[in-house]
Amino acid sequence: MPFSFSILAAVVLAGFFAAGCSSAPESLGQVVVYSSVDEVFARPIAQRFEKDTGIQVQLVPDTEETKSTGLLNRLTAERQRPQADVFWSGDPVRAAILKSKDISTPYKSLEAKGLPTLYSDPEGHWTGFSARARVLIYNRDLVGEGQEPKSVMDLNDPRFKNKACLANPLFGTTSMHAAALFQVLGEDRAREFFEEFVANGGTIVSSNGEVRRRVAAGDFTLGITDTDDFNVAFQEGKPVGAVYPDEDGMGTLIIPNAAVLIENGPNPDAGRRFIDYLLRPETERALAESEAAQMPLRSGISVPGHVRPLEEMTPMQVDYGELADLLEQLSSGFLKDWVETNSP
Amino acid sequence: MISPAVLERPGRWRVLGLAAGFAAVLSPAFPLLWEFVAASDSVGLGSDFGRALGRSMIIAAGAAACALAVGFPSGLLAGLYRFPVRRLLLAGLALPLIIPSFLWAIGLSMLRIELGLPRDSWLSGAPGCILSFSALGTPLVVFAVLLAVRSVPRSHIDAARLAGGEPAVLHHAGRAAFPAAVSACALGGILSLADPGPGQILGFSGAATQILVSFSALYDFELAARQCLAVAGVVLTAALPLVWFAARKMAIGILPRDVIPAQPRRWMHAQWAGPLLLGLAFLLNVLAPIAGLAQPAFDRLWLDRILETVARTGGNTAAYGLLAGFVATGIAAWLAICAARAPSLRVTLIAGLVLVFVLPPAFSALGAAFTASAAPAWLDPVLRSRFTVGVVLGLRLTPIAGVVLLRAVGGASPFWALAAAVHGVPLWTYLRKVLGPILAGPIVVSIALVALLATADVTTVLLLQPPGQDSFPVALFTVMANAPESMVASLCLAYVLAAGMAIAAAALAAAAAARKKLRPAAC
Repeated sequence: MPFSFSILAAVVLAGFFAAGCSSAPESLGQVVVYSSVDEVFARPIAQRFEKDTGIQVQLVPDTEETKSTGLLNRLTAERQRPQADVFWSGDPVRAAILKSKDISTPYKSLEAKGLPTLYSDPEGHWTGFSARARVLIYNRDLVGEGQEPKSVMDLNDPRFKNKACLANPLFGTTSMHAAALFQVLGEDRAREFFEEFVANGGTIVSSNGEVRRRVAAGDFTLGITDTDDFNVAFQEGKPVGAVYPDEDGMGTLIIPNAAVLIENGPNPDAGRRFIDYLLRPETERALAESEAAQMPLRSGISVPGHVRPLEEMTPMQVDYGELADLLEQLSSGFLKDWVETNSP
Repeated sequence: MISPAVLERPGRWRVLGLAAGFAAVLSPAFPLLWEFVAASDSVGLGSDFGRALGRSMIIAAGAAACALAVGFPSGLLAGLYRFPVRRLLLAGLALPLIIPSFLWAIGLSMLRIELGLPRDSWLSGAPGCILSFSALGTPLVVFAVLLAVRSVPRSHIDAARLAGGEPAVLHHAGRAAFPAAVSACALGGILSLADPGPGQILGFSGAATQILVSFSALYDFELAARQCLAVAGVVLTAALPLVWFAARKMAIGILPRDVIPAQPRRWMHAQWAGPLLLGLAFLLNVLAPIAGLAQPAFDRLWLDRILETVARTGGNTAAYGLLAGFVATGIAAWLAICAARAPSLRVTLIAGLVLVFVLPPAFSALGAAFTASAAPAWLDPVLRSRFTVGVVLGLRLTPIAGVVLLRAVGGASPFWALAAAVHGVPLWTYLRKVLGPILAGPIVVSIALVALLATADVTTVLLLQPPGQDSFPVALFTVMANAPESMVASLCLAYVLAAGMAIAAAALAAAAAARKKLRPAAC
């Protein structure tokens, strides 16, 4: 019995060693893409790239949910000898953090023609394309017609007392939104907003997905989330509505995707080709037509009816490059204290 | 020739062996601990960490108490008696071991909404977290008690029955199994300390959430490392009396004895109490979260997506789990043999295993990623492959295997080794012909248990998987934020079904092995 165990163990270990050998990345014909965009949206694009170019994509997806330590830490840990060629970020802040840590390298793609420079790094460390927006999501069964919220500040309206929720602002796009509010409103008014949110009985939940689920279920009347989260609930027939907030005021926060070339990645040429592919108008259209319902940054790209074109919106005027630094300060200062004090 | 008597005598090799074993177990985390703790001149833990740690301890204690309260009597009855649907309920109770904790928490969260319960009901906040974590602790206790009862000799059970009937049997077997139950529920409680998922989902943040924030929002590895060590220190301090108690109890086994276990038999009261208790555990820990998860799948079953995900990740999932099982069991067997029956070494070993368990999985995973990044490329097949994922998972789960094997080694009679020594049997032959067969059962249990737990891991696989080699839980984890609820529910159900099939296969194999063992030898 023990002898057969040792043989079995040896076979398993040898098998794994062989598997390990065979799984080492090849230098030609493939590209390694780490992506913080949800897998359900990123993989179809990666598969199209494979079909169109013949280059195999090894996709390592992550999620904005707050239950893992995330790929940004993995990229940091691997910085001496990276495995990734490209980081496809769901927001420009994570891309700017990679720039600040010298993990990315500049790449200005010719395919970026037509993309507004406002949404890209001037030095070319990251290039923005298709975007989501931060929207107010509300339960249509609980909010009467004509009573819809109009501003982010409505989260603190007494009529939504104990009925509003917000994802943890230390993570994901909510952290970026928090930093944007500090940049646009100024420190005092932004602090006031967060304090009033708590005073009005607002609740911090784990993620934007959780905001969507709980507003759709009627657990909360109102929350703030991303357009792709809203669209998933809407497509599923949930009783939810969305409002692009502050169209008459500070505007709606736009969150472009960001394509980042990793310095010293194992397949730099394939990495550049993948970034070129992401930045094409066809990819922007595909992301608009997917359940992600992302807005093309280029003007003139036809989009489905439920996707609102960027030119019909009032974008919040923020400096995306500076948001990363501001977020770093806030995450170790006000926001951390606020979350610690007010988390359930 | 080395004599088998060496296994029963004190010696410096035991201490060195333990040190080497622990060095191996901690090796992935060591680069991070060294770089960010030893080199740091700060000792701060963050402003609110003390309060968060207190909240975590409450959850851990609550989950452990629930697991003990439900798991101990259930395991005792299941180990001693036959009753209706016993095997089915036991197999079903193993499901939470293989399911990632965040999935169970989401199930409870969705169930609360479906039941129309308010936000501060018993399915959210601290009670929800306790229920979610006890889903892992209860099966651990049930199976630990089951194994412990099975190791009580038949002659002891028969003697107790003659002396005082079934109450005396329950009393005797209960006393024998209690240390294992306490150890298992403590392990379940400790596991909760390093897991932020359920707290995040159910709205009760503790120390694990703070560590996650330090890692993922602040990118402050120094702070995260100090916080991890603080958690380990508090747990060790709180657990030392328990460790001392359990180690001494587990050291009992010094007389040669009849090792034929008592077979479960029928008893009138067990016919209703057994199904009731095991059924309660099954309802709370398995059916309730599955009910929450499953409902959206009835709207649409994403069969094509399920097949694609299983085809892509099924092999990796099984492979990571199996390798982890072998690695953890191998190291745990070595550690158990080194500690043997010496109480001080046993206490040291259990304390060390607790320390390993308290460290968040991200620590080992990121440490391994650092090491691989600094190593030359020719080491990639070892340091950056599926092999690495399995090994790091196994090292992380060594404490589980350690508890199983420490008891098994403690239960082996010292006189066998001494008798073998007197007859001039070499050590290797003794290990192969005597100790090996005795430990075969616990070794299989250990491999299976670790493999099951390892398949549920998300963090280690996410951070260490070679590109494109994810597991089923990671695939599920990465779609759950934005995918339609019906797709997430379909994948969850598929995973639960696959886990159930794996458990059923394991149960059938164990039953076949037991039948083979009982078959009388041919004359």
